[in-house]
Amino acid sequence: MDLSIRGRARAYATFLGASFSANLKSVLEYRANFLLQVFGMMLNNAAFALFWGILIDRTGGIGGYSFEDVMVVWALVSTAFGLAHVVAGNVRSLGDIAVRGELDVYLLQPKDAFVNVLCSRTVVSAWGDFLYGYLVLCLLPGLSAGRLLLFSLLAAEGALVFAAAFAAAECLAFFLGNSRSLSEALHEFLLSFSLYPEKVFDPGMRWAFYTILPSGFIAFVPLAAFKAMDWGLVPILFLVAAAYMAASYALFRAGLRRYESGNQMGTRL
Amino acid sequence: MSSAAALKARKYLVAASASARARAAYRGDFLGSVIAYCLFVFVFSRVWRSAYAARPSIAGYDYAMSLWYFVVAEIPYFGSSGHFRELAGDIKSGQVAYLVARPYGFVGYRFAQAAGSSLVAVLPILGAGAALGGLVAGPPPLGSAAQAALLAASLALALALQILLQLALALTAFWVEENSAFLWIYQKLALVAGTLLPLEFLPETASRIARWTPFPALAYAPARILVAFAPGPSLRLLGAQAAWCAAAWILCLALYGRGRRRLVSQGG
Repeated sequence: MDLSIRGRARAYATFLGASFSANLKSVLEYRANFLLQVFGMMLNNAAFALFWGILIDRTGGIGGYSFEDVMVVWALVSTAFGLAHVVAGNVRSLGDIAVRGELDVYLLQPKDAFVNVLCSRTVVSAWGDFLYGYLVLCLLPGLSAGRLLLFSLLAAEGALVFAAAFAAAECLAFFLGNSRSLSEALHEFLLSFSLYPEKVFDPGMRWAFYTILPSGFIAFVPLAAFKAMDWGLVPILFLVAAAYMAASYALFRAGLRRYESGNQMGTRL
Repeated sequence: MSSAAALKARKYLVAASASARARAAYRGDFLGSVIAYCLFVFVFSRVWRSAYAARPSIAGYDYAMSLWYFVVAEIPYFGSSGHFRELAGDIKSGQVAYLVARPYGFVGYRFAQAAGSSLVAVLPILGAGAALGGLVAGPPPLGSAAQAALLAASLALALALQILLQLALALTAFWVEENSAFLWIYQKLALVAGTLLPLEFLPETASRIARWTPFPALAYAPARILVAFAPGPSLRLLGAQAAWCAAAWILCLALYGRGRRRLVSQGG
């Protein structure tokens, strides 16, 4: 049993590595476009640093956040968001794929359909988001190997929560049909709430940040862990991320029972 | 107007009207942009509340002014989304080859289509902005019919400029296939230079530079007319918006004129 689990884990790790490598090769085929999108996205994110810089310069701090706090949150969220879309590029197309009846090609393959469909694409601009976080981290004072490792772990945990939440929102398409507006709204809400200080929001709505819009586990708790160099929070955060992923997977499996094949011929090259 | 000119104008009015009716037919599509707009207004109402907790005024703006500024400044942005993607997609897919040979000016036609669609899209956003702004910041600072008329004109010009600049950026697809990075950079410069923050918040040098760019004409002008109305400065803002619209129109014509030479049509 133990060997079988280990074998499956190794097989999935090999599969994910192969998927990642194939996706990367396909985007690097158009190198100029790749670089333009990556640097475009980094500049795009940097515009918000300007906004916060100006505002905090005028006010001294917003919601208990200093400029450095804002930059750490942007770095964490940006790298987590980027990583989720680099590795699981279909995480925001899952609903459309299901609505168009195009899941058949994944269901017929030996690997789990959830993992297979999510990881079969990469989003080019997400590489810019992913790198932006590290660039910001390098520009902040006090860079060390420990901080870099902790940042990477917290961002990886955030990427799992992002992927789980976005995939769950996309799975609504199994139950509601075309739920694009709703899933886009959930996406906007999750991203927006993650990028602003928790304390600017009313205490009555903060429960949402630790349940249906898990900004707390993407930005607020990771920021506290990073500032305090609290390694003890890392395994707890990964357990939370695993719970979100399990819930998202269960929603996908429940949705699959309602899925109707589009009877389409498809190939994956 | 001569009958030839009237006939010519009618073509574009028909294009705008058809596009408006097509947009109105899919009311569910408005939901996403209205929700996103309301979300941003809500989040910024909280950010401003926190910023003003310890001070009554920042750069001459109080809480209500900052919030109403934001409510108006975001309207042209949210009311004009999607035009870049549509035109850039048509150029990349080659669909544009079917459109260039038709008896209308390509830029005028695309502008009319986009304007018709945006006029319909902006109405629910205006309604949502008025309701949400009233809820979190009190009644809007509208003091006279003249101010309301100038505000409406300024919003229309801001929307027109948003559309024209998006079309100009989309036309770069004749040269650069994956040109969405240009749109992101343009959108974020516009956000910093007058959308998220009034120009008065920027450091003096940055504010002075920003005033020589088209970005204040996209958001700052209508928002400033609402929150700090004075007839002279408001008319100057409208004049600058009209001048930037004319410049953006000429830019679109120039880009299209050069870009269409790169179009290669094969077979039918």
